[in-house]
Amino acid sequence: MALKFRVELVWQGNDTDSASSIFLTTDGRVILQGRAVSREERTRLALPDEGEMISVDRNLIRAIKEML
Amino acid sequence: MFLRNHWYVAASDHEIGSKPLSRLILGEPVVIYRAEDGTPVALEDRCPHRRLPLSMGKLVGGDVLQCHYHGLRFDRTGQCVRVPGQDMIPQAARVRSYPVIERYHWLWIWMGDPALADPAKITDYHWLDDPAWGAKTDYLYAQCNWQLICDNLLDLTHLAFVHETTIGNMALVEHAQVRVERTPNGVRVTRWIIDQPAPPAFVKIGGFTGNVDRWQIIDYTPPAFIRLDVGATPTGTGAPQGRRVGGIQMRNLNAITPETETTSHYFWGQAHDFEPHNPDMTERVFQQIKTAFLEDVAVFSAQQKMIDLDPSAPQVDINADAGGIQARRICDRLYKEEQAARAAAQTAAE
Repeated sequence: MALKFRVELVWQGNDTDSASSIFLTTDGRVILQGRAVSREERTRLALPDEGEMISVDRNLIRAIKEML
Repeated sequence: MFLRNHWYVAASDHEIGSKPLSRLILGEPVVIYRAEDGTPVALEDRCPHRRLPLSMGKLVGGDVLQCHYHGLRFDRTGQCVRVPGQDMIPQAARVRSYPVIERYHWLWIWMGDPALADPAKITDYHWLDDPAWGAKTDYLYAQCNWQLICDNLLDLTHLAFVHETTIGNMALVEHAQVRVERTPNGVRVTRWIIDQPAPPAFVKIGGFTGNVDRWQIIDYTPPAFIRLDVGATPTGTGAPQGRRVGGIQMRNLNAITPETETTSHYFWGQAHDFEPHNPDMTERVFQQIKTAFLEDVAVFSAQQKMIDLDPSAPQVDINADAGGIQARRICDRLYKEEQAARAAAQTAAE
């Protein structure tokens, strides 16, 4: 079913600080933008094998704290 | 909660003359009048002698406000300049004088520290007196806290329900993608509704016969200035890409001034860039929006009544509230900063 109503949150801290968008969906999810953590990175950083992981910018965390 | 170190709209220019006008602003009684040279003056509306409102008095000599009770007179700085029956004027016989600026057919008043009153901080409402736009302003008395009006203007999904016979339709709720941008001191909510029927008011004003691409771009600056860029063009003519041709565009301009914690002065205006010099069009556009705003005012009163019955009743947020929530957070932060600065100044003075 096509999404009908969607809210995109865009945070700008100041002239240089900004974050990628946060999307609020009609089915109650919060969708973030980030970079998938590769297998090689997982091994190098001793991250768990289970599940999918994404790396997000710290500014996105600030945006989440301030906007959600 | 009131933010004091800000400019607020106190009155429309046509309201102010030699007859003093009384207005309660941020819980403070203010009297406003025009001196003989046309300069607007705003003073505390309370004689320091026996506290009668100075607005019950009259201007004498074109520039001095005389109290109706015992005739004490005050100049435009708020200084008492005459006490009938005595030569000595008590040192404490003065009232507060507020900085005021006349701009965009509105009188702007600064309610906080006068040293911080910078006219450059007045929000831009130039469409109200720009010859390229037709515009008309109005005043509504809203029996609600000022932030309820901000919530309303920052979430336009309510148009589909409250204003279904004028400026709303279900496309606003079911086919909108909303972008909420938050900067340290502002919020912008952008909403596009693509290839959907125009609402009834747009059909009347713009004569649309088919589907339209419609936009609502809402700019919020604290404490309560909300400017909407709204319009529509026939669908597929490039409006989302910045090409606005063959349609209508308007500005809905709102400046809310708190009266008390539960009542507000709602100054607003509607401007249009199509047929800007046609007064009939200006009136037609204005009336469509006024009809809708009166529907809002009824909603606000009902909301406030329920809030007053139980201020602690829980409130649930939905996705569409994002813009209003960000605006409230900005105001909360600014309030804390203002209170902290005031406390620091008091400590320093002691």
